[in-house]
Amino acid sequence: MQILEKSGLEAWKKAKEMKPEKVISLLNKKGLAGRGGACFPAGTKWEFALNSESDKKYVICNADEGEPGTFKDKYIIINNPETLVEGILIACNTIGAKHAYIYLRREYRYLEKNLTKIIKKIIKKADTDIQIDIVLGAGAYICGEETAIIRSIEGRRGQPYYKPPFPAVEGLFGKPTIINNVETLANVPLAIIKDDWNPNLRLFSLSGNLKNPGIYEMPLGTSLKELIALGKPEKSIKAIYFGCAGGCIPFNQEWKIDPEFINSTGCMLGSCTMIAVDESQSIVDIVTIIAKFFEYESCGKCTPCREGSMRILSLLEKISLGYANMDDIKLLEELCCVIRDSSLCGLGQSSTMHILTALKNFREEFEEKCRLR
Amino acid sequence: MPDKLDKIIESKKLLLPILTEIQDRDGYISEDNVRQLSKKTKIPLSEIYGVATFYSFLTTKPEGRNIIHICNSPSCYVNGSLNIIEFIEKELGIKSGQTTEDKLFTLHIGSCIGCCDKAPAMLLNGEVHDKLTEKKIKGIIKKCRS
Ligand code: SF4
Ligand code: FES
Repeated sequence: MQILEKSGLEAWKKAKEMKPEKVISLLNKKGLAGRGGACFPAGTKWEFALNSESDKKYVICNADEGEPGTFKDKYIIINNPETLVEGILIACNTIGAKHAYIYLRREYRYLEKNLTKIIKKIIKKADTDIQIDIVLGAGAYICGEETAIIRSIEGRRGQPYYKPPFPAVEGLFGKPTIINNVETLANVPLAIIKDDWNPNLRLFSLSGNLKNPGIYEMPLGTSLKELIALGKPEKSIKAIYFGCAGGCIPFNQEWKIDPEFINSTGCMLGSCTMIAVDESQSIVDIVTIIAKFFEYESCGKCTPCREGSMRILSLLEKISLGYANMDDIKLLEELCCVIRDSSLCGLGQSSTMHILTALKNFREEFEEKCRLR
Repeated sequence: MPDKLDKIIESKKLLLPILTEIQDRDGYISEDNVRQLSKKTKIPLSEIYGVATFYSFLTTKPEGRNIIHICNSPSCYVNGSLNIIEFIEKELGIKSGQTTEDKLFTLHIGSCIGCCDKAPAMLLNGEVHDKLTEKKIKGIIKKCRS
């Protein structure tokens, strides 16, 4: 696997000799896109922070991997922490930060000890005065969001706030800050040092109704058939969920896993999470479970998401218990669109994608429940 | 002589790490601690409660000696987590958010813990237990009780 290759601080040494602008243009030329879900070019993000004048700057490594079905960052932290830490150091050095935080979700607390050891080792070897601290989350899905993570590290409620100002201009403690996902930062040293580094390889978290779930590294553009076959499904697969936030598609074998194509189906590839659901499962039940997740994880700051997620859940419970009629399905669809269009942050905006796509692709399962009345 | 709370404030500085430290030490964040903390740090009570009640791993009432966070997100759900949850509820006689009378267990049903490839999964006092079956649960509960 490419992600398990090491740089052994070669990339750090090389980047230190280069002008920051050169490091950034190298990363952009190599095509390093953010792996947290938005696919934003990593170099460009760094450039904003580099150009912001300030006495202090920060780097945040987002290890708050909370999207259900996702465990690739954990895989990297366990299997290649050295390269991750080296990537953080390069990020700091490039934008001019002396301090970095790794925001590690509390559910992964058991990774803290070894990661602390590796940080110490790499900093010593790199002979730098950059400081890297681990901040443990306290259990909140919303803290994967850029502005919420900033609030949480500041010690406050992890609630998002309006952008601009963007973190690269005014972030942690009011200072320019870049926030990158674990997989992005771990790729930085490899992109810098390896001539044959492939920007299209992604870590797919495969789970659900599979005999061989796990992490698989494959290029974007792989067919669904090929990827899901790696997981060895035992029954016929009906749907693929891109986590809770990414929506669902029918398992169309010929479809290619390409972010733009997935977008065109009304879904989001996000962090390459794939939950395979077989024919024995009820989509209405899964939709209800996911709605519960969003109702629980809504941070409560804005009305459409806070109130809407509760309404959605009660409508879905009505449907799944068989008390609903066709008008309730229409109401559900309308409410989903309102929440999508009027919520403050990505959590609310994406929280109904799974319902809208389920209604598009598996509508008969909802209507069946209504007909049973 | 500075008391223990002073030491925590001194070493952790920011509100969230202070509260997590108290949570780790006492198993919950008591009203008494919140009041003292507010006095010492000049952070309003409301703000401290705001943070203490925002995160799912912080609690303002005492928890049991063994804390279970069991996942009910999709990967676990399609692998039968609901049956396992019902089994635990029956074995312990409590629902999510509750503590057993003997103060031995607290149960939280929550979101994904990143062990989706070994579903269904849970954390017991922060440690992963995965590929859960009724038999495994029985063994875990028995071990905690002895
Ligand atoms: S959309 Fe939801 S999670 Fe985001 S700010 Fe609003 S209430 Fe909070
Ligand atoms: S879905 Fe249960 S651990 Fe991820």
